[in-house]
Amino acid sequence: MTGAAAGTVLLPTAGLTAVKRPAKPKRVALVTTIVRKFSHGQHFVDRLLEGYGWHGEHHTSPLDLVSLYVEQFPETDSSHERCARHGVKLCPTIAEALTLGTSRLAVDGVLIVGEHGDYPRDAKGQPLYPRFRFFKDVVKTFERTNQSVPVFQDKHFAMDWREAQETYRDAQRLGFPLMAGSSLPVTWRLPAIEIPLGTPLVESVGVGYGHHGYYDIHTIETAQSMSERRAGGEAGVKSVQAYKNDAVWRLLEERPTTRRLCLAALNRSQTLAPAPGYTFAEPSVEHLKRVSPFAVAYVFEHLDGFRTTIFHFNGTGTAFSRDTAALNDFSYAGLTQSGEVFSTLMYLPMPPTMSTLASFFSPLVNHIEHMVLTGRPSWPIERNYLTTGMTLFAVDSLYANGAKLDTPDLRIRYQPTPGPHFWLE
Amino acid sequence: MPPPRQIAFLLDDFALQTPAQQLLDRFLLGYRRNGSFHKPDAFRVSYSLSPTGGEGGVRGRPSTEASSLLQQRVTGHGLQLTADLPTAVREADALVIVPGIGSASPPEPLLAAALAHARRGTACFVFGALASSLATARTRAALANARQVTLASGTEWPLTWRLPQIDLPVRASLDEAIIVVQGPSPLAELQALDALLPILERRAGGERGVRQVKFLADRELWRAGDRREWSWPLLSSALSRSDSPQGDTLLDGRTQDLVGLGVVPKLARNPRGWLLEHADGVRTALLVLEGVVADCNFALRLKDGSEISAQLFHAPVPGQEHFSPLAATLEDFFRTGQAPAPFARSLLTAGLLDACRQSAAQPGTWLRTPEITGL
Repeated sequence: MTGAAAGTVLLPTAGLTAVKRPAKPKRVALVTTIVRKFSHGQHFVDRLLEGYGWHGEHHTSPLDLVSLYVEQFPETDSSHERCARHGVKLCPTIAEALTLGTSRLAVDGVLIVGEHGDYPRDAKGQPLYPRFRFFKDVVKTFERTNQSVPVFQDKHFAMDWREAQETYRDAQRLGFPLMAGSSLPVTWRLPAIEIPLGTPLVESVGVGYGHHGYYDIHTIETAQSMSERRAGGEAGVKSVQAYKNDAVWRLLEERPTTRRLCLAALNRSQTLAPAPGYTFAEPSVEHLKRVSPFAVAYVFEHLDGFRTTIFHFNGTGTAFSRDTAALNDFSYAGLTQSGEVFSTLMYLPMPPTMSTLASFFSPLVNHIEHMVLTGRPSWPIERNYLTTGMTLFAVDSLYANGAKLDTPDLRIRYQPTPGPHFWLE
Repeated sequence: MPPPRQIAFLLDDFALQTPAQQLLDRFLLGYRRNGSFHKPDAFRVSYSLSPTGGEGGVRGRPSTEASSLLQQRVTGHGLQLTADLPTAVREADALVIVPGIGSASPPEPLLAAALAHARRGTACFVFGALASSLATARTRAALANARQVTLASGTEWPLTWRLPQIDLPVRASLDEAIIVVQGPSPLAELQALDALLPILERRAGGERGVRQVKFLADRELWRAGDRREWSWPLLSSALSRSDSPQGDTLLDGRTQDLVGLGVVPKLARNPRGWLLEHADGVRTALLVLEGVVADCNFALRLKDGSEISAQLFHAPVPGQEHFSPLAATLEDFFRTGQAPAPFARSLLTAGLLDACRQSAAQPGTWLRTPEITGL
């Protein structure tokens, strides 16, 4: 028995090359809600300060994290310890983090990590993380100093579409490189496949799990990072419609290609709940109905006739919980015009159950390093502008009892960068 | 489609999330293969508990839990329970023998009985090592030959995904290798060998066997690294692939340069390792490091100075999807009769397990291994 499960042997020649530490390291500020074990803030801060495993070595970031703005300090806070040990300035304002108290920008890049922490939720259950407020403080500092630097925004832009639009427009107006997104498009893939640019894809399906409103982005970006590689590139989205529970099963019954892709994606999942007395199961609609009476789907119609469907199988709980979810991973399947199916698992070694590190932040931080060093985002910000809108309008449809919503604001056309951007080496 | 083939699983017990259950269920229910759920429905699956009372003799009794699980499979999926091992084996075209939890190889009477009753042309797969010594492995191989049974052994480790999906280029000039595992002996050594030998055998000249083996523990293990008997930098490369550093990472989630920070000796509980000197001069270190990381990672240095490293992926419970590639390999073996790996690897593994055991009795001393030098 030799060889590897996926059958493909990739020599270490493709993907991101290791970033060498420049003679004069670039300085960055990080603006976040909270830094405690397993918060997104901690994952980013530690990779910049402590380094991370990359390409077979412990990689020291070429970026110097010189300042940190943190909004909440629970008893489990680790920002003070990190700042003291690494000589990072913990600043009381975002402006000070960017200027270090001077009248000019004192950093070469900014990371905004608005995830986790104690924040209220809106009527749709979305946590009101202050990503937009953080971003606007950064923009105001750029305007005041008449300078700007590359910015990374974790996950989607905002929880409100008008704020998301303003985010995009500010970046365009001031002309600074903006990169954003989830770690799903850049983590390991099992198997390690990329869809060739220009593939005549006709439909994408992403399957995942999680809280509606802030986990949807992961599955939507899983699919969009593949869909955008289709012939013609991304044409934009003209409508979205959400489905819930029984409506999901009807959707699967009525759309054979969507059903085929959903099951193909689930055949890449490694966590689909089994029947009692077993450890794994054949993916089928009947099985899904048994293990996941709570299910949500979002159908996106693109302007070129392409279709994306996102499924979340949240299991048996009335509210989402990892313990009762029907699966705990994110998978993808795409169909070409000729009937060929591409499918893969976007593998997240999720702590604490599968790992002690959330290593999927490592490729994301590596892309940020590249952007700050080169001034070039790895992928177009239009991807994240679109996925922000797809997420927000999908949740709107869900809370409008599945009303189909026209999305003229999502006529966002763009061409993908060649990639691959995922963790390959 | 060829006529249905009968697979007999000979097991010590049956419990969820064991190799026995994961493999048997994949032949009963199907498994994920190349993006589809593949049902090997040309197979009939039978089950027999291994004899525990001696050569070919007394049939054991499954636990209450095992009985319940097995009955579920009889009624739901047509599993056949066979009363005695000789009958199960005589009716089978293929055998899967899985030792009990904690054992690296099946009880010798079980394998002997299986081979003695097997039909000509049977394909027989032993999960784990063929035997705990080269001599016994050779005896079983001779019996298999005489019965025209194709014998193979191994685990899920050579076939699982690698992060990244990388391999040693064929005929590469290899200098040195290291693998980090955890667990009790001899399972840890078996895992290390079964994971690493399939990679190493791709090197220029192939695998020519192992000349000598040395066991090291505790401080002597670190001193040997300091003396360059094994490579700290290569250990660093292997550990950089880990998703499960221990120590401070458990406390607050931080990333760590475990080797660079010098914390490996502090974190390791009862560290032990074996140094292998191969016949062609390649050096291999098998390190069993509890408390440092909790996953399996390897690194190789080629003679041109380049390095290759990866994590060998163990998929989440309960599905443990790393058993699906093994099931696929076994299905191909049973359909074609072609053994999935060179048999010499099975012999080398058995011989090395014995050498590891013997050398552990004399820490710090090279144990010459002429019997596995020319394998």
